Amino acid sequence: MSSLRKLSVSAFLVFLSLTSSGGDHYRLKAGAGEAGVGYVCVMKNGFWSSFHNQATLAQNNSLSLGLNYENRFGLKELGTRTAGIRIPAGNASLGVVYSHFGYTDYRREMTGLACGLKLSDIISAGVQVDYYSEKTTDEYADNHSVTCEAGLLILPSENIRVGIHIFNPVPNSLRKLYMPSTLRIGAATNLNNSLFTGIEAEMSSGSKLIIRTGFEYEVMKRLWLRGGFGTNNNSFSFGLGYLTKIVQTDISFSTHEKLGVTSSVSFIFKIH
Amino acid sequence: MKKYVIIYLFIFFPFGSYGQITKLPEIIMNIAEELAADDNDPEAVAIYIERLYDLAENPVNVNSADENEVSRLFFLSDFQIKVLTDYVHSSGKIISVFELANLPGFDKETAEMMIRFISLDAKMKLNQDSVRLRSASLTNISIKPGNSDSTSLGSAWKILSKYKFTAGRLSGGFTIEKDPGEKFLTGKSPQPDFLSFNLAFRGSGTMRKFIVGDYSARFGQGTNINTGIRSGLSLTSPGYMSSKDEIKPYTSTDENNFFRGVAAEFDFRNLGLSLFYSNNYSDATLVSSGYSENYIENFYKAGIHSTSSQLLKKDAISDITCGLNLSYNFNNLRIGLTWSEDKFSLPVYSVENDPENIFDFKGYRNNLYSVYYNSFIKRILLYGEFSTNEYRKYSFVQGLSFRPSDRLTINFLFRDYSAGYMSFHGKGPGSSSSTSNEQGILANFTFEAAKHLFISGGCDNQYFPWLKYRCSIPSWGRKKELRVKFLPTDNLTIDASYSYSYSMVDSSQNRGIPQQKQVVTRSIKGTVRYALYDNLILGTRVDYKVAGPAVSKGTLLLQDINYRFRYIPVTLWFRYCLFSTDDWDSRIYTYENDLLYSFSVPALSGEGTRTYLMAKWEIKDIAELRVKYSTTSLIKGNSNSADTDEIKIQFRVIF
Repeated sequence: MSSLRKLSVSAFLVFLSLTSSGGDHYRLKAGAGEAGVGYVCVMKNGFWSSFHNQATLAQNNSLSLGLNYENRFGLKELGTRTAGIRIPAGNASLGVVYSHFGYTDYRREMTGLACGLKLSDIISAGVQVDYYSEKTTDEYADNHSVTCEAGLLILPSENIRVGIHIFNPVPNSLRKLYMPSTLRIGAATNLNNSLFTGIEAEMSSGSKLIIRTGFEYEVMKRLWLRGGFGTNNNSFSFGLGYLTKIVQTDISFSTHEKLGVTSSVSFIFKIH
Repeated sequence: MKKYVIIYLFIFFPFGSYGQITKLPEIIMNIAEELAADDNDPEAVAIYIERLYDLAENPVNVNSADENEVSRLFFLSDFQIKVLTDYVHSSGKIISVFELANLPGFDKETAEMMIRFISLDAKMKLNQDSVRLRSASLTNISIKPGNSDSTSLGSAWKILSKYKFTAGRLSGGFTIEKDPGEKFLTGKSPQPDFLSFNLAFRGSGTMRKFIVGDYSARFGQGTNINTGIRSGLSLTSPGYMSSKDEIKPYTSTDENNFFRGVAAEFDFRNLGLSLFYSNNYSDATLVSSGYSENYIENFYKAGIHSTSSQLLKKDAISDITCGLNLSYNFNNLRIGLTWSEDKFSLPVYSVENDPENIFDFKGYRNNLYSVYYNSFIKRILLYGEFSTNEYRKYSFVQGLSFRPSDRLTINFLFRDYSAGYMSFHGKGPGSSSSTSNEQGILANFTFEAAKHLFISGGCDNQYFPWLKYRCSIPSWGRKKELRVKFLPTDNLTIDASYSYSYSMVDSSQNRGIPQQKQVVTRSIKGTVRYALYDNLILGTRVDYKVAGPAVSKGTLLLQDINYRFRYIPVTLWFRYCLFSTDDWDSRIYTYENDLLYSFSVPALSGEGTRTYLMAKWEIKDIAELRVKYSTTSLIKGNSNSADTDEIKIQFRVIF
């Protein structure tokens, strides 16, 4: 029974790295809206984008709460549940995020505390401190780790947005467990009032460079159509978003060339 | 003991400094990376960077209209130097650096590159005549924690100390260096592992220059004498093809590529005469042949003496070099003659009966004779050089630079070096480290396609008529490059390039004549630099490379942030870089900002990250402190990583 569990956990860890969006599996990926544009969101305003690049937190001045669920390849064991809250505070905004991934025999939890600050009209910066906890059954050891991430958002002109984000810049010699680092750099523009397009490069230590591109089109008022493409696994994404008075609902689907479809849904409540 | 204390004081308590050094433009980084990627000339980057810092310290007075003065901008072509001096002669002084961009043969990119290294101050020349002592000294210490080798003779620290003074027409200085693992003091009468000094006089009359001590020299295209940067053409860079004749004080740290003795440069109206004599020691591997005397098996160029066997090679032979250079200027034509002789204290013989070495130099003495010219005919610059030795082996260089329009430059360079030609202190344009066994033709162009849009490209076809290192048959090589540069605003630069190289190497097989495999490397590089404010610059770069017969791939993504505080005199440079390459063949070179007069272009291979943070603190006008911490983290299978750290410290003071 124990060896069966070992096998299942090992197989699970293999799947863990096969995300449809690619890159570093430690790094939080949340938001069906963001998944819909292929995670081209390092420069994009949005509730969940704030946890992809904390500098964008400063661009949002509403108190909001979000819930997200992602399921990879139709396997319930590969589900991620995420919750977050964003609190405006003058020129700055604070954010708290919690994420739970896995099942009984293996689970990874992440808690993050973020702050974004508008430094000037064209530049914002943000940081986040993360606490990771990995729990496995039997003789596998539990792991705990603390790291940080930081980002910049640059608005060189009215229509152009540039985002830079570093995850885990801490040298691995300073920690007991190896944790990959990730650098994301992207630029986006609004081609017109209803069309957002962007391109992003991401690289994690131990992985190849990934280029992503995506768009978000406001089909009609409060309804968005999204699409994206990433060079890792030639992954296509698409999604829809709809905003009611206080709730924004997003759904998305992204493909993996061998393993199938990853689907997500998220709800964002604008409290104040 | 007393002399140790004096040396120690010089190194750890330097007492002088130069003024403000501006940052290097990114085009220089491109050239530095290109030079670093050329494995045949590892010292080229060091010399290049040092000369740029020299220029930043002593800017060129472009309004002097003196070709000798303007040609100190060594990255300009002869064509550009001529245009610049003619313009000042005919139109008067240049008032603004932006005026430069409108000169024939110049563009915005070149003008921006020059800004850091020129002065428009007409009084500058007069200042050179005033006797005012300016002393400068800097000390570098590099430490790699935990990186100690038990076989090394000395500590793992690297120490470099330089001192330079200028008093009117007189200048001088010395350089002391100890590489990691070397003993600081070596030899029977203990002295630093590398000690170099010079004293120079710069005249305005018949005697233009007189140097005692260590110096470098270059004449014509460098196939006879050139201990500096290789002259010639880059595939896409506009510069470093100047073929100026010069002797200059040696301040670099290459331990085996300079002259030690006396040199003088005279000027009799249109006639120039340079004389030089050097008696220097060189590193070499000696072999005892039993009955007869020792002989030189090969020259040891690395300059590292950290083990007992390496220390045995240090200064193993004496090398006496003498020569003269005569040049004459006609209106649009300059011709020159160079003769040099090298005499070694022991004979040189080939390593073994390897067919590759059949044409190698043998004996005590090497005499070389050269004739060269360059000529302007309207918009065409022609230049060439022919050199030969006593065995009628020759080198031949012929180049052409043509500007059919102010927005287009086309260059051609042909070279033919026979297999038996050998120049111990020469470095002609070409792809190999020795000016020997190579034929080739290079062509390139630079085109201002639209306002702020520059396209440049080039192709270099090489043929090696005899065997060479790692290739047991006559072989071919080819390099191609295309670069597009867009400068839409003053604070944004977008640069993209594609490069291709082809070469042949032996496949690894143990028996018989090895088969050759074709090594093709292709790479794409994109760079964006953006100045958000005058004190905040961001840079992003993406690289993709496919290399070798194994078609290994390499990718790199990096982010630079350069920030200068407004209210305190501190500047920060930060880089975060992620790379992933399948093997060493797909390695990627990245230029890094470093200490003054130092450079760092690490070759990144494997999978991991490279990060550095450098801080510069200018303590009023009297001192400057730079500290650089860099770390490379490599993933070593199964999610483990190995980190390599390095700390560099530099200190400069003015008195």
